Amino acid sequence: MGLFEVKNLSYKIENFKLDNISFKVNKGEYFTLLGQSGSGKTLLLESIAGFNSITGTINFEGRDISKLSPENRDVGFVYQDFALFPNLNVKDNIMFAGKYKHVSNPKETLNDLTNFLGLTQLLKRDVDNLSGGERQRVAIARALFAKPKILLLDEPLSAIDPTFRNTIMKFLKDIHRKYNLTTIHVTHNFREASYLADRIAIVMNGQIKQVGTATNVLNNPVNIDVAKFLGFKNILPSSMINDTKDRLFSVDPNAIHVGKHKFDCDYMFDGIVEECMGIVDHYKIFIDVDGEQFFAKILKRDFKSSYANRGDSIYIGFDKDDVCFL
Amino acid sequence: MFFIKNWFLHGLIFLATIILLFLLIPLLNMVFGNDLMLLLDVLKQKDVIGSIYLTMKVSLWAMVFVLITGLPLAYIIARYNFFGRSFVEALIDIPIMIPHTAAGIALLMVFGRGSISDAFESVGIMFVDTEMGIMVAMMFLSSTFLINGAKEGFKKVDVKLEKVARTLGANPMQVFLKISIPNARKDIINGALMMWGRGLGEFGAVIMLTYHPMVAPVLIYDRFTSYGLSHSAPVAAIMIIISIFIFLSVRFVNNRFK
Repeated sequence: MGLFEVKNLSYKIENFKLDNISFKVNKGEYFTLLGQSGSGKTLLLESIAGFNSITGTINFEGRDISKLSPENRDVGFVYQDFALFPNLNVKDNIMFAGKYKHVSNPKETLNDLTNFLGLTQLLKRDVDNLSGGERQRVAIARALFAKPKILLLDEPLSAIDPTFRNTIMKFLKDIHRKYNLTTIHVTHNFREASYLADRIAIVMNGQIKQVGTATNVLNNPVNIDVAKFLGFKNILPSSMINDTKDRLFSVDPNAIHVGKHKFDCDYMFDGIVEECMGIVDHYKIFIDVDGEQFFAKILKRDFKSSYANRGDSIYIGFDKDDVCFL
Repeated sequence: MFFIKNWFLHGLIFLATIILLFLLIPLLNMVFGNDLMLLLDVLKQKDVIGSIYLTMKVSLWAMVFVLITGLPLAYIIARYNFFGRSFVEALIDIPIMIPHTAAGIALLMVFGRGSISDAFESVGIMFVDTEMGIMVAMMFLSSTFLINGAKEGFKKVDVKLEKVARTLGANPMQVFLKISIPNARKDIINGALMMWGRGLGEFGAVIMLTYHPMVAPVLIYDRFTSYGLSHSAPVAAIMIIISIFIFLSVRFVNNRFK
């Protein structure tokens, strides 16, 4: 059963419009809004939180909350830059909600959150003297202290040092499980979404283009724009692989085999090497096949025996299982 | 060689020193150029102490009044785009651009006669030759400093702080009092100090509405025209010393504590 449902949500600001957006989020689900910068993800998240006067409805446990003020929506919000209150120390930031709404067992809640998030030693610290990771944990603790029914995360990993991102991603998933949360997470990073999300919605130009399970959305984009955004390469006409329907297909560059002689594959082409770029442990090879360009990634150790220079003839091949139709 | 390499920096320091000395010398001369015994003697004069106390008190009232009414105005300008915002901002700036005596005449025509004056008089509030008259003169010519200072302070407060506070259960008023004002505090206090300081020195507009009771600038002028420099200078020196002491104390407290 849908805990949270956005129906026909629209909102216009200057030249940008959130256009007729609808989606559902189930209880306990980790839902990701995935889209490029400027696609309207954050605006959508802020609209859900109640910062914008929208048209359409937002149903939450069967009740329309679209006309409620943000303080009455039971949502927790963590911004990209965490938005900690500079005039309060860590403890007062976390316990802020306790002054304005009823929080059951505030001391136990504080202890539990600070223990789990590793903030016990930082409670008296000024928020200006925290690292990026610490600031993020304080922001999450502050949102969770209010015991929200939905946690809204706006690009929570973009201000984190890339070397810590995997750790933090695991940490976000742990929080989601431990506190039995329903989470809506906004990101532009499809790798982040693929790890965290139960379901994903693709947001482009203020519209939802596709909603589904993470596996389904990331492997079966509904159109070429979504496919390009998700990093699909080799988007080519399906007539090349003898498909009678007028559509496109895509094949993962890592799934393409390359050789100087013919080998066994479901689909086999001969082409001319346009470019061969050596990158650390692999080659990026661009091959022209009857005017269409294939892009293949081959590990250096696999390519040693069949290294080809620009202009050389080469065979490429891939199997049916590696083909994705758009 | 060092001098040649840093000719630009030395040029800047030289020019900056000229203006600093220009500002500093009259103040130092006023404070240290007077006989200490004379200053102590002046401090015993009831009219001097009464006048300085009156000036401090009324300018403080004026500041508090503008804090209550001007902070919301500054917040609205900082946060919202609305038709006529530029006009409102220009209106706030106008009082510091017009001659103070002209401002005094304008105030006299509104608060000294006519329907507005009559309306206030009917509830017992009069502006000519009263502390209330001094207060409106001070407010008219110095509220700009507080409102503009607060406006800049509110602009520096990330609107996301206010949004997050709303999701944590605070209503707009609570957000304003607990997040917006505390995080714009430095600019608000600086603006308030500027306003208070400007109010302490207000003369041209005050004298049009209220000669008696005498605020310190009017007393200094009165003593200068009646008795000459030797009688007015000690009063001016005491006024300067007290003002500097108060401003430095407030700034210290503001910078020291969050």
